[in-house]
Amino acid sequence: MKKNRLALYIAIAVFVSVCGGIAFSQEDIRTVADSAFDVRQIMRPPVRFLHDGHNEKAQIGDCNVCHHAYDEKGQKTDDSSEGTECSECHKPETPENTLALTRAYHLQCKGCHAERKAGPVMCGECHVK
Amino acid sequence: MHGLYNFVSGPMVWIAFILFIGGCLYRLVSLASLAKEKDTAVYAYMDFYYALRSIFHWIIPFGSENMRRQPLMTLFTFAFHICLICVPLFLFAHVVLWKESWNISWGFLSDSTADVMTLIVIASCIFFLVRRLTRPEVKFLTNRSDFIILAIVAAPFITGFWAYHQWAGYRMMLILHILSGEIMLIAIPFSRLSHAIFFPLTRGYMGSEFGAVKNAKDW
Repeated sequence: MKKNRLALYIAIAVFVSVCGGIAFSQEDIRTVADSAFDVRQIMRPPVRFLHDGHNEKAQIGDCNVCHHAYDEKGQKTDDSSEGTECSECHKPETPENTLALTRAYHLQCKGCHAERKAGPVMCGECHVK
Repeated sequence: MHGLYNFVSGPMVWIAFILFIGGCLYRLVSLASLAKEKDTAVYAYMDFYYALRSIFHWIIPFGSENMRRQPLMTLFTFAFHICLICVPLFLFAHVVLWKESWNISWGFLSDSTADVMTLIVIASCIFFLVRRLTRPEVKFLTNRSDFIILAIVAAPFITGFWAYHQWAGYRMMLILHILSGEIMLIAIPFSRLSHAIFFPLTRGYMGSEFGAVKNAKDW
């Protein structure tokens, strides 16, 4: 009986870590998540986002198309900023007020979609209930 | 759908706000000059104290005799107007859009509060509709334009409620929501919805005449 329970614990632990690994690995990002967004305070469901699938569909080859970088003068450079969390530059005004970060995401995603007339632009197309 | 969305959320917003603000200014200026030309008593009798006294009594629930005689109507009309003004201004989704476009923001309602307030607006519209159809003294004064105005006001809230809950046809409903809001803004200066801007003037004048000339209450 005890052995069975131990096996169950191990199975759960393996399952959780594998799922966690898939969800958070750099290669296979599934949602738009930033540590600055407090899951207890967010007003809308997180956005489902398949990183590689998106880039394939949108034919984006260079990282810096989205992961942009700017120099001290505010000029856009050719560098890319992947690996840096968006909130490191687009800082929330306060821990509770993340509208500035939300704005950066919206302008980045929605702005490009509206311009290219491809991809979701309406609130509920990304924040699906 | 992108073209339609880009239009209603872009140029159409500018058209709506220009017509709304410009229209309100035009109506106010033309009303003022019309009064100067044809009804100079308005300027002679307008009194700040009596105007404010009357306005004050009419914006307090049950502050006037007429409101006390029609308690149900009073409850609905106050709940309706408070929700009608607060929901569009303090809805989270709208605050986010202001932030996005202009980088300005202010406080917002929780989604569940806004949801209930939206239902209050819709329920009030149904109440006003039933009242117009059933009360003989109201029915007598009702014509088609009253129903059109009621529909113009109810539409942004019905479509907004639908879109928020992401029910069937979400995309089309959101476009209709934006469009119906724009139609309502444009309709404010050019329909009887103009009581929104004229209320302080008409009430203020009534208060002035009753207070300073007739020495009577007008509430």
